[in-house]
Amino acid sequence: MTAVTTGGPANRKRGRTRGGMSRNAGSDVRAAYLFIAPAVIGFLVFVGYPLIRSFYLALTKYNGLTDPVFVGLGNFRRLFTTDPAFWPALRATGYLVLLYVPLSLILGLALAMFCNQRFAGVRVVRTLAYLPVVLPAVATITLWKFILDPQVGLMNTILDRLGLPTSLWLQSSTMSMPSVVLVMLWGVGGTMIIFLAALQSVPTELYEAAKVDGAGPWSVFFRITMPMISPIMLLQVILQTTAALQTFNQPKILTNGGPGFSTKVLMLSIYENGFPTLGRIPQLGYASAQVWVLFVIIIAVIALTAKFSSLWTYSDSTSD
Amino acid sequence: MTALPTETTVAGATQSVAPAKKKPRLIGTTSWYVVALFICAVMVVPLLWMITIGLKSRTAVFDIPPKLLPHEWTWSNFINGPKAIHFPKLLLNSFVITGLSVIGGVMTAMMAGYALARLRFPGRKMWFYLFVGSMLLPGVVGLIPLFQMYKSIGWYDTWLPLIVPAFLGGNPLFIFLARQYFLAIPYSIDEAAKIDGAGHLRIFVSVMLPLTRPAWLTMAILAFQASWNDYLNPLVYLYSSGKWPLSVGMASFISPFAGKTPDWSYYMATNLLYMLPPLIIFFAAQRYFIQGLGALGSTNQK
Repeated sequence: MTAVTTGGPANRKRGRTRGGMSRNAGSDVRAAYLFIAPAVIGFLVFVGYPLIRSFYLALTKYNGLTDPVFVGLGNFRRLFTTDPAFWPALRATGYLVLLYVPLSLILGLALAMFCNQRFAGVRVVRTLAYLPVVLPAVATITLWKFILDPQVGLMNTILDRLGLPTSLWLQSSTMSMPSVVLVMLWGVGGTMIIFLAALQSVPTELYEAAKVDGAGPWSVFFRITMPMISPIMLLQVILQTTAALQTFNQPKILTNGGPGFSTKVLMLSIYENGFPTLGRIPQLGYASAQVWVLFVIIIAVIALTAKFSSLWTYSDSTSD
Repeated sequence: MTALPTETTVAGATQSVAPAKKKPRLIGTTSWYVVALFICAVMVVPLLWMITIGLKSRTAVFDIPPKLLPHEWTWSNFINGPKAIHFPKLLLNSFVITGLSVIGGVMTAMMAGYALARLRFPGRKMWFYLFVGSMLLPGVVGLIPLFQMYKSIGWYDTWLPLIVPAFLGGNPLFIFLARQYFLAIPYSIDEAAKIDGAGHLRIFVSVMLPLTRPAWLTMAILAFQASWNDYLNPLVYLYSSGKWPLSVGMASFISPFAGKTPDWSYYMATNLLYMLPPLIIFFAAQRYFIQGLGALGSTNQK
């Protein structure tokens, strides 16, 4: 991550401590605090405070109107033992992550490799593949909701004309989650762009050497490409999993959790408990407990991925 | 094609990039173009279909079997659709919210990045790691406490929760990008400016900002996209429909209200208008989009 700072800037740092810096140290510190003040205040107010407060609320019963009442681990006990909606929510979230993350990584990498070749028009493909990422989520998700409409949607129309079996898509409890994931995968261009940057930073000499040695395309892929981009792969696994665990827009707009509990992911359940429709009392303490379950899962995923990363990521021993 | 590595903001500024390389060809030309055509179709056909729905009459949308092209072209959908959700009002709301959060987000991230990269002060490393660490913090953790906080200070159902955080360094990714970019600028430039008697504010405004134009343009575009597309935050913080940005307005368009069938042709016509600003920006400033994420891909490379 700090590799960009090595080289030229390293010399600069040395020069700085020796040279004129000490003279201006006082004014530097004052200026630095002024420049960084907005971000520091923002960090304390919008990151630090909510983090602590949310942990406290998770241990209380709180409706947002009267003062929170401390209940210890009561919320968590209710979540894991009596709430009929919690385990389905956890299962739906897990299903979404297990379906979406591997597919997104495989398709994203395949697309990046496809776009990393010299053909006239490759720019067009790259641009169009990235296009869905730029469009507003609400706009594209709603569009897909209509595309997947069983009666008048484009998807079934095309499948029908090609003589392929059609589906109820979002309205079937078995197909609803795969359909949600399908809609999410339309934005795979975001994954592609990051892999593309990684692929383009692999030194060409490696490929040339492999060619001289007579390596086939598969061994080039597994012995050169994959090791060289493995740090980016690690980053992608972490980013994609944490993002997928927090999926909200797609299930909210496409299915609102249905049919049944089939797409009611944890984020949707948190939203419904914390910000219920008119007439119901918000359960902010309970929703905070759910938030913390999600948060702990995210931390665990990051920690486990990072811990086992040494098994499959390649690190260049010569870099610092 | 080779525009990407050489123009990648951060990497490009510090690392020398190999000259035009010969890319290996994995598959034959014909099969490449067949696959390319398929990819383009998957990305574009849904959008084209959206336009045809926007041009169909309200009942033709429900024809069975569905027709791919409209029987009669109903251009009035582009007038009546937007009218149904008070489009001009919501558009203005979106522009104000997005405009202010772009300015705030970019400005404060550039300032913080400048301090973290070019000034020495106690706690510099610590703040850098705290900002970077907060990138991984799920946004939902803050949602409930912040909602209560905004409510208690009277910000609920105002635009302030959507704008003020941006003015307080709301996006740590931008701080990270700004710092990386500032690190790549030769320090002798500051030295020269200092000898000429320029203070830090002068250096920042008249030396650094012009030099870092690609960095803050990238950020501005990403910030525009994030704010324009944001759905959860306005959904939670705004109650009155007159204050909604387009994202919430568009979503309310098709939510089945009191058993009323959603008006798909109106919706799709309006949807196209909602997509236009990000679409125009994307095609006008495509390389900045790609740079922003490309920088993330290559700075974390080693």
